[in-house]
Amino acid sequence: MSITEQQLGNGQPATTSKSDVMTLRDVTVHYPVKEGVLQRVTGAVRAVDGVDLSIPRGQTLGLVGESGCGKTTLGRVIAGLVPATGGDIWFDLDETAKAQMERLRSVPEKSMSAEDKTIWSHLEANHRLGSMTRERQRVYRRNCQFVFQDAFASLNPRQLVRDIVGRPLRVYHEASGEDLDLKVINLLERVGLGPQHLLRYPHQFSGGQRQRISIARALALNPEFVVLDEPTSALDVSVQAQILNLLVELQEDLGLTYLFITHDLGVVQHMSDYLAVMYLGRIAEIGPTAEVFHDPLHPYTKVLRDSNPSLEGDELDHSAHLRLTGTVPNPIDPPQGCRLHPRCPVSTSECGWQVDDMFLSLETSTPASFEAISRVERSSPFAAQLVMDDDVAALELFTEIQNSRSPFGGAVENIELDGANVSIRLREVEEIPLIPVAPGRMSSCLLAGRPDGIRPPAESR
Amino acid sequence: MSNVSASDVNNSEDWLLRVDDLSVHFHTPRGVVQAVDHVSFEVRPGETLALVGETGCGKSVTARSIMKLVPEPPGDYASGKVMLRNPATGAVIDMLAAPMDQVRATRGDRIAMIFQDPGKALNPSLTIGRQLAEVFGEHRAQMLLTNAGIDPAKAPLGSKSVASQRAGVIRRSFFNLTHRGQSRALQAAVDASVIDALSDTGIPNPRKVMSSYPHELSGGMKQRVMIAQALACDPDLLIADEPTTALDVTIQARILDLINDMQQRRGTAILYITHDLSLVRQFADRLAVMYAGRLVESGPALEVLRSPQHPYTQGLLAAIPRAGTPRGQLAAIAGSVPQLIDPPPQCHFSSRCSFSAQACTNHVPGLIPLPVAREVACLRFTDAVSLGVNQEQMPSHVDLIEVESAEAVSS
Repeated sequence: MSITEQQLGNGQPATTSKSDVMTLRDVTVHYPVKEGVLQRVTGAVRAVDGVDLSIPRGQTLGLVGESGCGKTTLGRVIAGLVPATGGDIWFDLDETAKAQMERLRSVPEKSMSAEDKTIWSHLEANHRLGSMTRERQRVYRRNCQFVFQDAFASLNPRQLVRDIVGRPLRVYHEASGEDLDLKVINLLERVGLGPQHLLRYPHQFSGGQRQRISIARALALNPEFVVLDEPTSALDVSVQAQILNLLVELQEDLGLTYLFITHDLGVVQHMSDYLAVMYLGRIAEIGPTAEVFHDPLHPYTKVLRDSNPSLEGDELDHSAHLRLTGTVPNPIDPPQGCRLHPRCPVSTSECGWQVDDMFLSLETSTPASFEAISRVERSSPFAAQLVMDDDVAALELFTEIQNSRSPFGGAVENIELDGANVSIRLREVEEIPLIPVAPGRMSSCLLAGRPDGIRPPAESR
Repeated sequence: MSNVSASDVNNSEDWLLRVDDLSVHFHTPRGVVQAVDHVSFEVRPGETLALVGETGCGKSVTARSIMKLVPEPPGDYASGKVMLRNPATGAVIDMLAAPMDQVRATRGDRIAMIFQDPGKALNPSLTIGRQLAEVFGEHRAQMLLTNAGIDPAKAPLGSKSVASQRAGVIRRSFFNLTHRGQSRALQAAVDASVIDALSDTGIPNPRKVMSSYPHELSGGMKQRVMIAQALACDPDLLIADEPTTALDVTIQARILDLINDMQQRRGTAILYITHDLSLVRQFADRLAVMYAGRLVESGPALEVLRSPQHPYTQGLLAAIPRAGTPRGQLAAIAGSVPQLIDPPPQCHFSSRCSFSAQACTNHVPGLIPLPVAREVACLRFTDAVSLGVNQEQMPSHVDLIEVESAEAVSS
């Protein structure tokens, strides 16, 4: 069932069916890195790097991840605030349209039949962000609203609440004059404020009240889909509870679909039906929230869950908990294979070890060998020739890598010693895709489908 | 975690820090803000006390008052004492009344503090090594001289000020020219101390970190540096003011593991300021809850979390989303925190409290002892006669015996 502007203008709640509000296929957002006087582009920050995601109508999809993992950028792309640099974003696809899209997406336009070409151009004109018609774009924009994290910065300090909340209505010529005031009062009442707040400025409100104003503004056009970007992270627990209750109540009454972006696992567990866990620009795991929490299929999800302090359970026993080592890698040059592998507590030799990982581990385990490296010639991320200070240091490094019992040692395919030169070649691993491992659940961990699952390796137990 | 038994409580001499009737006011054009209002508590040697409350409840001001770091003006220590005891000698110093040189000698040496945002608390224009050297220079100049093989009694002119990091560029270079060997030995001693402190907090490659600037380090690493700096002089008390709020949950877990580990190894007492009750359960021995500048409840952490007695603590715990709570049915506390500018003499929570009665709006509830080392400030535990009001004006009464029997059942 697709939505038209007419329907929403009547204020009918959107009908719930099995269709998706938003469908993302291989979406990337790369921010260019510029250097030098000429501002030459030397690389790209891969904020979002190949994300497939479906947001089912009438449900809440939670998106969690640490700071810098790209969750806010993904939210902004979906809301159309940031253009995607690759991939497609589809709006309001029903089941048949989605099946057509999946079928034709991989077919190059030249080799399509005439009939398929018509279907494809129809799909693009009606559903695809960036190639929609103007009318469809209007429908998309009013149906997709955004609540920002910082309610202090996202409300214009020089405008009255009436102007802030009434602005969308004015832009879409929905109301003016007294009618506008009445509609704004209605909206304010919906979010627990009153007519007395109509002629006040944002600074006269507390943090919780400002977030309510933000929500009222987002709801002004009766949208179907709202992106909530950390709506409660700046609020105290008692006020957070008020806002979360309000959001649930609004969802039930208006049949809203939420994308709930947060770093707080307690909140996301409470709020969302489905949960997507992001790490370094990619989705690590996705599935129904309760199942993801109960039995994580990706070590990153497990670490997040275990790191989250909770008021229940036997928290005093930390020994069984997995922890990550090191820090988040640079998103300009993310690790090969699985992006978590340099920090992962359960990594195997197949996870995509590369030459740079060797330097990191040498730096901490044997600084002497690390200092003795005088030159490195990389032929690929997986192969390099190291020139050491002298033959002794080279021999030391050689024996150390050969005898290494770590997962990294297992990834060494070939290592040769020639005087002070050590050439090393590691197993090449492709980027690990998000694959279905159980009904309704997807994980991008190699171990997820295996009988042992994601457990710490036997020797460390 | 140590269990606090009744005998510990009765032993009144077993304290490290005693905050007694502390009030801190801020003078503003709009009136006097009573940020901290007659707060009293104790920290015992080696224990962790968590001070919990929402934004603006005065928990950070309380923490800063202990170090006497509240700027005067606009701040004003309106009443009270902050007494720090030396566990070895038994000597007591009142941080608020002591002369400034004594306060300076105590800060960083016997009480240290970790701040919320490590990015802002570290000096961006000094290398990590220089910043940590300051701590040693300030409090351990003698030790540095000894380690460098210089007899402090016969130390050459200039070496003392160089060791204490107070010498300017000219004096340092002059000392470098006249006493080259000793200057090098001194620098080596400083570096060794700094590297020791850094590697103690699990920082890999401390030599490299030492020569880097704060902006080159990640948030978690900066917080480790802060902890290294705070624990450099082996303080008796560490004040941690929301040390993990700016960090991600995975980094937070590792920093908390580190603080816990350092506490176990050194027996440092920790005053842990936080707004996150779920952290308290993991890391604190005792818990004190603040609301609008006042202490409303305190006691052993697990007991208070299991059976909170003050309506505010109850509300705060119920508002945390948990796995079992049905969606949309979080118990939110209605309303918001009252303004603390010239507040009326009443229970500050009365406007949001579901038990509120007439007496609550014209009496300030004092802390009432409850069974097993707990205290609560609520009129529900007071009887009408002692306040001199009618029974009808009081909120529904809770009998102390009920609390005691509930405790007995739950434990």
